Amino acid sequence: MSQAATTAGSVPATSVASTEQYNYAIVKRFAIAAVLWGVFGMAAGVWIASQLAFPFLNFDIAQITFGRFRPVHTTAVIFGFGGNALFATSYYVVQRTCQTRLYGDSLASFTFYGWNLALILGVITYTMGITQGREYAEFNWQIDIIILVVWVAYFWIYLQTLLRRNQPHIYVANWFFMSFILATALLHIFNNLEVPVGIFHTDSYPLFSGVQDAMRQWWYGHNAVGFFLTAAFLGMMYYFVPKQAGRPIYSYKLSIIHFWALVFLYMWVGAHHLHWTALPDWVSTLAATFSILLLLPSWGGMINGIMTLSGAWDKLRTDPIMLFLITALSFYGMSTFEGPMMSLKSVNALSHYTDWTVGHVHSGALGWVAMITFGSLYHLIPRLWGVNLYSLKLVYVHFFLATIGIVLYITAMWVAGIGQGLMLRAFDQYGNLAYTFTESVVFLHRPYVVRAIGGGFFLAGMLIMAWNIAMTVRMGIKSEAREREEARAAEARTA
Amino acid sequence: MAAAWEWITDLGNSKMFALVLFMSTFIGIVIYLFAKPTRAKKFETYRYIPLEEDDSHLEPTARRDKTESEKQ
Amino acid sequence: MKHESVETNAGLLIILTLAVISVGGLVEIVPLFYIDDTIEEVDGVRPYTPLEQRGRDIFVREGCYTCHSQMVRPFRDEMLRYGHYSLAAESMYDHPFQWGSKRTGPDLARVGGKYSNEWHVQHLIDPRSLLPESIMPGYPWLATTPLDYSDIAARMRALKRVGVPYSITEEEYESNVEKFGEQHARMFDINNAEEMLIEQAQEENFDGDSSFISEMDALVAYLQVLGTMVDFSEYDDGHFAEFR
Repeated sequence: MSQAATTAGSVPATSVASTEQYNYAIVKRFAIAAVLWGVFGMAAGVWIASQLAFPFLNFDIAQITFGRFRPVHTTAVIFGFGGNALFATSYYVVQRTCQTRLYGDSLASFTFYGWNLALILGVITYTMGITQGREYAEFNWQIDIIILVVWVAYFWIYLQTLLRRNQPHIYVANWFFMSFILATALLHIFNNLEVPVGIFHTDSYPLFSGVQDAMRQWWYGHNAVGFFLTAAFLGMMYYFVPKQAGRPIYSYKLSIIHFWALVFLYMWVGAHHLHWTALPDWVSTLAATFSILLLLPSWGGMINGIMTLSGAWDKLRTDPIMLFLITALSFYGMSTFEGPMMSLKSVNALSHYTDWTVGHVHSGALGWVAMITFGSLYHLIPRLWGVNLYSLKLVYVHFFLATIGIVLYITAMWVAGIGQGLMLRAFDQYGNLAYTFTESVVFLHRPYVVRAIGGGFFLAGMLIMAWNIAMTVRMGIKSEAREREEARAAEARTA
Repeated sequence: MAAAWEWITDLGNSKMFALVLFMSTFIGIVIYLFAKPTRAKKFETYRYIPLEEDDSHLEPTARRDKTESEKQ
Repeated sequence: MKHESVETNAGLLIILTLAVISVGGLVEIVPLFYIDDTIEEVDGVRPYTPLEQRGRDIFVREGCYTCHSQMVRPFRDEMLRYGHYSLAAESMYDHPFQWGSKRTGPDLARVGGKYSNEWHVQHLIDPRSLLPESIMPGYPWLATTPLDYSDIAARMRALKRVGVPYSITEEEYESNVEKFGEQHARMFDINNAEEMLIEQAQEENFDGDSSFISEMDALVAYLQVLGTMVDFSEYDDGHFAEFR
């Protein structure tokens, strides 16, 4: 193990080995930021869900109306919670599987401050009404540039760390993280080609219009799901599931096959968000075809993760963290089945523009992304601070609150989406429309209330997690202080 | 080359092109992975990479133990 | 090439991954720019006037796209509810496109002319005073906030740079006269952008309050033009089907 090359005396000798060999400080910061953004973003989600159920909650205040606050929610959960969690885990995984220290300490710090600064600016500017009006890419052009710079730094750190590895093979988790970094760069740059109104002006106009702009946006939108919310979290899965299970991944060959299939296929499917629109038919047919094919590599990943536990299923009874990870994979399997089904043109005719889509996104986002993140953070954070988790019982509580929340959420959205879709296409015996649009809105009220309650459950679980993590970190800091104390005492004795 | 490019960019062929491209790459990867038994076996050794690392410094008691040992 | 060199060579892994992820996007996006059929040939579609464009900016600013689509699909129920299905040509000057992805409220692609200006103003200030079941937020500040049009020329210049045919030179103006008629061509002249905006706002007085130009003026001007540019009675039933 590395010998501590520190100046003796001022720096305590304990825990030097670990801090020197690996850069855990950056992982810690990102992990804590992920938890904080999770609390904020999910609270924002419950807030806007409540606005849909009870519109008086908009209070006629511009800054908090649904239209301005929805991007706050999506940005905070996708890029705040998800993004920070990905930074934390990817920086951790690349160090551990390459058995080398993360490249560039200050550059890594820069990615932390830059990324979170961009997000905070984004949230503030959205409430001020500064937006590009592109879903999941609402950041205005100056913030886009900050993000781009941070992302290039991220790529550079990741690449340099890979190049400095002490392990000849690049473990598959890193492939997923690398493809996520590359694809996100590509998506971010291309989707944000725009002409600013002025150098000091916050607004800009996108380079393309109408049908080309739509295609570009949903190519971005779906691949943000594909690479940011899927490939990267698969990278997380490929490390933390085997670690937590104490068993190697089920099949390495399968991981290679489904990696290449996944990264190839995802880029084709974005246009299924534009079925039946003014986009030419050939594009949406192509997208639907590839969406069906995508089921195979998606399930390849799910099977690989779940089968890792084969022969050790009893772990599910004793280990709540494993419960999170495996449930996440099950939701991943479910929503990657639902997705291709919804990309069929006939199904899409009903589901598109309705809450079914919203439910589908959340079965992926809450069930897969959030659950795998919770499991990974519960595994990671105690180790970073060198203590046991404050309470395993609270992890169970969190798990059940989260699961109940998800189930309420997606069933409410199925009812809302399919119900509204059927109402809007219903005809009476004379061939007239059977319902007005307003009648379908009235119908949505109850599912919207249930959805807000489901979101509340999920948020409650997140708050419990935040408490559990806070107490764990506190224990860690205390024991570190105690160690330092003891070390100083020991030093004094020897001197 | 120009003719090939024309064929590729003709939209009537794009589905076919995509299918051929995808299938051949996919089959190529599968053959690569499974054709040679020694190679297949070698791949499966990579599964153990996450489990091979030295985790001792991450254990909850690691620091305390070290302090203890340093005392002696 | 040996896969082993891919696994052990970070650079190669990056290049291959980039190549693989680029294929899908290239095949689907690039043709949209050079296939003529992508955008139908149709009369009437024109850029937005300065006032309408500012209204569109407000539409984007308030995040209306999070609940309202602007894309009528070719289904019987949508035709009955909203009108003729949307054409690609109708959003050819939309930077950004606002097709939307969710209809918490109804589609707005053809909302222009369906309701009076007074209805829109009242509905935007307090939706539930007209539709008790509505879950739309109120936007009362639009009626009280003066419209900032100081940067309208800069905005139009930016839009011109991305392809909207606003005019600066005499030549461009003449070509606009030919394409869109003199009345509209005047509106598209960047040199007089501010005057034209004021002229339209005062002439049509969308919010019913002529004392100042409010954000409401601009938004209602935009809503009232949505979907009204193409006169569908001029075309046969099957005319647009060939472009799909």
